[in-house]
Amino acid sequence: MINKNTILKKTILFIVMIAIGILTIYPFVWMISSSFKPNPEIILENQTFLPKEPTIQNYVRANRDFNFFRYFVNSIFVSLFVTLAVVYTSTICGYVFAKYRFRGRKIMFSLVLSTMMIPWCVTIIPRYSLIDWFGWMDTYKALIIPLAFSGFGIFLLKQFIEGIPDAIIDAAKIDGANEFTIFHKIIFKMSRSGIASIAIFQFLWEWEDFLWPYLIINTPEKQLLPVGLKTFSGQYQTDYGSLFAATVFSIVPVLIVYFMFQNQFIEGLASSAVKG
Amino acid sequence: MKKKNPLQSNSEIMLRDIVVGVMVVFFTVFLIIPLAIALVGSLHRWNPLNGNYTYLGGENYSRVFQDDLFWKSLIRTFAFSIVVIFFRLTIGLGLAYAIFSKLVKRKNFYRTLYFIPVVTPLIAISFVWKFMYNPQFGVFAQFFGSKINWLKDSRTALFAIEAMTIWKDTGYAVILFYAALCGLPKEILDAASIDGASSGQVFTYVTFPLLKPMTLFVVITSIITYLQAYIQVMVLTEGGPGTETYLSSYLIFNQAFVKYRFGYASAMSFILFIIIAGLTYLAFKVSKDKEKVSI
Amino acid sequence: MKKSFVILLIALLVILPIFANGVSEEANEAKTENASETVIWGPNTFGENVKYDPDVEINNGEPITLDYWIWTDDALFTSIMEDYSAVHPNVTINVISNPYTDYWTKLPLMLKGDKGPALFNIHNAFEDNFMNYAAAYDIDINEIKADFDRVEAHEKNGKVNYIDIGLMTSSVYYNKDLWTAAGLTDADIPTTWDEFREVAKKLTIWDGNKLVQAGLNINGCVATDIIMGLNYQKGQTMFSKDGKTCILDNDVEKENLQMAYDWYNVDKVGSEDFGDNGFDSFGQGLSAMTLGWGWRGRYIEYFFPEMNFDVFQIPTFDDNPVGIDRVNAEACFGVNKNASPEQQAVAQDVVRFYLANDTLQKRFNTYMNTYPTKKSIQEDADILSVKACNVLAQNADQYVYPGAMPQTVEDNCNICAQNIFYNGMSIEAALKICQDTINDDLLGTDFVAVENQFVNSDKFTY
Repeated sequence: MINKNTILKKTILFIVMIAIGILTIYPFVWMISSSFKPNPEIILENQTFLPKEPTIQNYVRANRDFNFFRYFVNSIFVSLFVTLAVVYTSTICGYVFAKYRFRGRKIMFSLVLSTMMIPWCVTIIPRYSLIDWFGWMDTYKALIIPLAFSGFGIFLLKQFIEGIPDAIIDAAKIDGANEFTIFHKIIFKMSRSGIASIAIFQFLWEWEDFLWPYLIINTPEKQLLPVGLKTFSGQYQTDYGSLFAATVFSIVPVLIVYFMFQNQFIEGLASSAVKG
Repeated sequence: MKKKNPLQSNSEIMLRDIVVGVMVVFFTVFLIIPLAIALVGSLHRWNPLNGNYTYLGGENYSRVFQDDLFWKSLIRTFAFSIVVIFFRLTIGLGLAYAIFSKLVKRKNFYRTLYFIPVVTPLIAISFVWKFMYNPQFGVFAQFFGSKINWLKDSRTALFAIEAMTIWKDTGYAVILFYAALCGLPKEILDAASIDGASSGQVFTYVTFPLLKPMTLFVVITSIITYLQAYIQVMVLTEGGPGTETYLSSYLIFNQAFVKYRFGYASAMSFILFIIIAGLTYLAFKVSKDKEKVSI
Repeated sequence: MKKSFVILLIALLVILPIFANGVSEEANEAKTENASETVIWGPNTFGENVKYDPDVEINNGEPITLDYWIWTDDALFTSIMEDYSAVHPNVTINVISNPYTDYWTKLPLMLKGDKGPALFNIHNAFEDNFMNYAAAYDIDINEIKADFDRVEAHEKNGKVNYIDIGLMTSSVYYNKDLWTAAGLTDADIPTTWDEFREVAKKLTIWDGNKLVQAGLNINGCVATDIIMGLNYQKGQTMFSKDGKTCILDNDVEKENLQMAYDWYNVDKVGSEDFGDNGFDSFGQGLSAMTLGWGWRGRYIEYFFPEMNFDVFQIPTFDDNPVGIDRVNAEACFGVNKNASPEQQAVAQDVVRFYLANDTLQKRFNTYMNTYPTKKSIQEDADILSVKACNVLAQNADQYVYPGAMPQTVEDNCNICAQNIFYNGMSIEAALKICQDTINDDLLGTDFVAVENQFVNSDKFTY
């Protein structure tokens, strides 16, 4: 009895999961396939899955008019620096909250946590005015510095660091190490998985961020990928082919990185959430 | 409370002071001050482009309360969030449970697969789905016929946006629930089934309650995210047809950066903020009754 | 993991050079085109009333650089600035292009500071955002009025901060091949809306329940081509007599919208679901006619170069329309009040150079498909050969210019159109919402409509 039932269940489950899997990746496949179709074929009512007349002209046009590589490099640069900043600040603040005892610690931590709840729309306008007032408009420091601290990051790292046995820290102190050394040599190393989690989150968020770079960056050459994609689509609304190609440009590199580091991504996310 | 501990070295005090100091400065400059500026600004007619900054008192707020579109968008945002969160939870948990169960092999493969949409940038995905919804050449037109103008028909437009959001974000829930499931003490689950409970009963009475912390985490992060969603609207429908797919954050975005009414937009933002804060607080309270969350 | 990463990196580095060749071929083409056209200006003064003397040194012959912000059509504006620099080699003008949607966010903020561009392109829908920063033209207004039409529309305190140099309006675009295929000839070109409806029916092809070819496609253009303009034919204005309140919620608008709605739903000459955008559908050969403004012609020529199309004047209800339609204009660029005095002086000189120069005015108008306001070139053969210009050339002064309406008017009319066609809202309700929202947005702006400047404004019902 068990065998028949189990096989049936297994098969049904398998079919369902594969079906959902297909639904999951179908848009990507369709996008890539369409990007190789010439425009007249794209607008046909009766589509075939694979292009009847594959072409790379869409990519040529997109590359010519949509400064993809530039945007991509810019985005990598900014996302990387923001991530590094957040990793450092979250770890050090997490350490202070986790291992030190001082007056107001709990209140301060709750306040830091509560910053996660503030919707972007409340602060973005004044921040914009502030940046203007500082004279930082159209600079990358305006993109990086205001994001250097993250309530979420501090929360995450605090949870992790709390799990580090006090004994190790005390041992180092007895050995004569000062706090700076302890932090940089020991804590950092032991918080690796926490750091990996926040790094991934932060990188992804920054990579996707649209509004802030849109407002701050004026010079087209400095622009980031999401904004570039949006303005490109605004200008070339009918050139579906090159729009598809540009979108592929925006998505495929992320996928490549994801496939290379998928384990770290998923483990990092999972472990951080469980601890949270 | 504790006096200076003899083991508290000078370097510790220094590190602590520097770190806390910088952190406080940062949050003050980039969070507290902007909050204050926004609050004050919300009491003015504030257009940064032509330099207009006239005091209005509470007029912005009273106009927000009378603004049909604001309340409609708010309700719609709630509806949107509830639908998306519901599906994210159920499909996410369902898939996670399926992957977790003994009936499925190649768990890593499925995990990786379902997570793909999550890592891709929302804006790019929104464009792909916009094309997919095109009534002439889009994928859905091929399958369902081009009678349905998904993004232009007020009956289907919001649903279309929800569908895309669910597609994109469910993988996140799958991963989290799967990790939580893996972390459950096996003995309890085994004990339940040995006691004669069917797998359905095991799930309902044992597994699911144990997953409450994770469920709460997913719900809370989802609330915060979806109450602020605007990119999907901006790309797919621009709030249309008419104003049928306006979500609160998109309305605020429109008021602030298309119409340049910073004062009015700030007033709306504050009201939204209070609502989000209230909901999050409620959600915590509900969970605190059952469990203690350590802070 | 590490190995594959390294391999990927190497692969990227190899592919890099291919992508690095991002030089726009179009720009190169435009440059060579211009080279063959370069005219040497001067040494004689040119211009009818607004004159320019190319011999006079600018900025004492010292090198100076200016920024010039535009949102599109780089080739055209670059060529104009290059012509100026040809006369004054000490002046370098950097043409900086931002996409249209970004332009109106970024420009005013740049103008506010001290690093803003000395010259910037203008669209009158955004007047509210930049007027504070635009310097008055340094040219005698009577000279400008003698050379150009419709200068009064922008006159403030005896001066202008910018003027209109090209007019455009809404016309009917039709596909000549589909026209002939339906058995129609030039004699069938409709002059009244009734005739228009019949022609549209003949151009429509249904296959059972499926629309194969739309006789008319107005998706996306109901706001600009029906709501904002047809009202003048019956003498109804969009704004009150004092020009400050929007009065779109009126009977004439209701009648016109009903007519448009009936085209789709009673005459069945098209469908709101047939293609996202009337012009794309037209360009793809799926819709035989569409309504559109002058610049659409350029759009078609760029994206659908094989299309065989033409333009005819928008039909009217009878032989005596009060006004034929709304007209809007492309403007001359503006000068930044906050730029340095030296830069402003040069900028003002560029304006004078541009306005005095018939060749450049012609180049602009033929490129933009607009009908020039500069009187001296209005009968030029090249101008008249542009399809959309021809329509206007017939009776340009019969078109009404409502003024520099803020963008909110068009945005809300779009919402109104969507509410009617897609949300099943009644025309009355949609118009009311539209009017109320517009009036709400107009509070706090200085906008005053100038419909009363129209030559037949005595026939208006407000």
